[in-house]
This record gives sequence, C-alpha cells and structure tokens, in this order.
Amino acid sequence: MIWVAVGIAIVVVGLGLLVWSRRRAPDGVASFQRQIDALSPEARRSVVDRVQELDDTSADGRGGEPRDPSGPHGSGRGVDGA
Amino acid sequence: MARDLAIDLGTANTLVYMKGRGIVLNEPSVIALNRQTGEVLATGHEAWQMIGRTPGYIVAVRPLRGGAITDFEITERMIRLLLQRVGVSRFTRPKVVICVPSAITEVERRAVTDAARRAGAADANLIEQPMAAAIGADLPIDEPVGNMVIDIGGGTSETAVISLGGIVALEAVRVGSFDIDNAIQNYVRREHGIAIGERTAEEIKKEIGSADPTGDDRQAEVRGRDLMTGLPKTIVLSPEEIRFAIEDVVSSLVASVIRCLAKAPPELSQDFLVRGMYLVGGGGLLKGVRERIERETKVPVRASTQPLEAVVLGAGHVIEHYDALKGMFMGARR
Repeated sequence: MIWVAVGIAIVVVGLGLLVWSRRRAPDGVASFQRQIDALSPEARRSVVDRVQELDDTSADGRGGEPRDPSGPHGSGRGVDGA
Repeated sequence: MARDLAIDLGTANTLVYMKGRGIVLNEPSVIALNRQTGEVLATGHEAWQMIGRTPGYIVAVRPLRGGAITDFEITERMIRLLLQRVGVSRFTRPKVVICVPSAITEVERRAVTDAARRAGAADANLIEQPMAAAIGADLPIDEPVGNMVIDIGGGTSETAVISLGGIVALEAVRVGSFDIDNAIQNYVRREHGIAIGERTAEEIKKEIGSADPTGDDRQAEVRGRDLMTGLPKTIVLSPEEIRFAIEDVVSSLVASVIRCLAKAPPELSQDFLVRGMYLVGGGGLLKGVRERIERETKVPVRASTQPLEAVVLGAGHVIEHYDALKGMFMGARR
C-alpha cells in the first residue's frame, strides 16, 4: 500500500516539475537574440533566392516573358465596358 | 505532413507561400457564387473576369474590403478553397501565418483566424503587413537603424518605421488602389455623364493615371454607358483629368506618410534622409506616386523590385523560421 502511495507521489511530483518547467518564462535575452538573428539578411537570403529562382524559371519557361504576378494589374485589356 | 503556409490575404490579391517551396499561388481575391444555391462557381482569375459581366443569379464579389472581412462566410469558403488548392486536406493541417493590416480591430482579427482555422489550419497567427513587407523587402530590420516602409494596398495603406525587429511608429489609412478606381468612376460619371465599371476604371488608372505629372500626354479612349440615353458612348480622357480625379485619394496617402514621419523618434528620423523610404504594394505601381511622396516629404523613396510579393515573402520567411520569429505575431507582443 505504501509503495502505491510513494509511486503516486513520485508521479505527481514529476508531473508538477514538468508543468513548472514548461510554464517557466523563456529567457528574454536569448529569444530576442534568436529573433534578431533570424531577421538578418543572411538568414533571409534563402527565401529571397528561392523566389528569385522561381521567377527566373517561370520567365524562361515562357520565352523570357515577364511574370504577371498581379492578376488584375497586368491583364492588358482595352479600356471599355460599363 | 502538411507544409506550413503564409498567406497574404489582400483586398486585391491573395498570395500563398509554402514552406520550402516559395510562392505557390497568386491570384485576385475574388469569388463567384451562384446567388440562389450559394455554390462557388469560380475563384481567383476566373472569378475576376466575371466582375460586372455576370447574369443576375451569379455574383462575383471581393469578400475583403479595406483589408477587413466584409463577409465572413464567403471569406472562410475562399480560404478553404485556397488551402485545398495548395494541398491541404482534413488529414494534413498546416500552421498558417496570415498577413493583415495593422489597423484591424480585435473582432476582425478574430474573424480572420477563425476563418483560417475552420478552413483547415491547425494554427493560425497574424502578422502586420508592413512588418512582413519590411522582412520581404530585405531591409536591415535586425539593426538599430530606422527603416521606413510604405505599403499601398488595394484597400489599406500603411506606413511603418521599423527598427531592431519591431514597429516603432505606424500610420494606417483605409484608403488604397480601389479608392483610386472609385474616384475615376465617380469623376467620369459626374463630369462626362458616363457609367463605367470598376475594371474599366482600373484600366484607365494603369493607362494614364498618375499621382504627379510624368510628361506622358497619352490620352485614353473610354467606352461606357451614357447615363442620359442609356446608349454606349465613347469619350477621351487626359492624364490631367485623371490626376485631378484621384487627387483627394493621393493627398490622403501622402498625408498619412507625413504623419508617420512626424511620429518617428528623432534619432531614427535622420536615418530616413540617408536610407530613404521603401515603397511596396500594388498601389506603388501608380505612375508618379514615388515622385509625389519624395516631393512632399523631401525624403528619398525607393521602390521595391517585387512590390506585390514583398509582404508574402516576409511572412514566408517567418514560416521558415517559425520558432525564432513567433514572438512577432500580432498579440504575442501585447
């Protein structure tokens, strides 16, 4: 019986520790530094390059015609119609 | 396993960035519905072609106005269709970051996140458009220097000063490209007695519209419906007329930029004179707008090479570095 009580106590303490460690406030300095690092031009390079590559590929695929990313902005229709 | 997504849910266009893939969808924020059954008939480019040209039982609508959801149900259906088209199913629920105007209310914010969650997102977070634009435009926002971004969208225009990864000063107005189109429609109706549609007004804006004299004297022949006789009629419009027609809207955009400059801390103000301001968004494509802002603020303005994609690129970068940048979400800082 006593072993069951001890086991339950250990589980409760373990769960308590787990919850406490999760709720502990994150280190502000470290998380701010991680955020600033992630915003650096080097960190952003991969995203910019990937989109640039896609741009180049789609332009090549259409005989060098520039991409029309804007939908309505680049339809080139005549100015008519009510 | 679903790939996480960044969505620029704009009044004019919707762009989707998929983690590890880049921009996978870019189309007008328009949905065409059967008015009687509520059935979705088309979205995006196809629905845009239908605006003003549908029979009575079909309605082609923009569910967002001024950057805000005007019809929650239709927006939710549009987001659901968008997610389906990029491969999201009930078994693959991605995390989604949505770019929204910084001036949206708490109710609008909740409407957007709820719409995304109900449409299949496992988690939906919001990020301010000017912040996303600054990230996407490759500005050095990680440094303690003033970066100023002007984002002229379809329904909203925002100017923000960003330094050290955060917004320092912000000015937003619910005025954008669609207000320019409306001003042209109203002018033609008032001065020439002709009714034209919003697509025609947009074409006029692209052809001869300008915010500042550009030296281009090309005129545009416009066909519409005579309000008196009901018959088709052709008129010729000059760039000066269009400049006059859109002056109120342009002035209000420039005034908001000036207000933001006035809000900026003096330490950062000097940076703008050296580094300039950065212009993004579809409204920045209006001829002469860069020169007009430069002339009135005496601060150099640089135009983005990817004005329409800058916002979604920034949000895409946040998706790529989700754990490091989740502190930048709206609400996380408050």
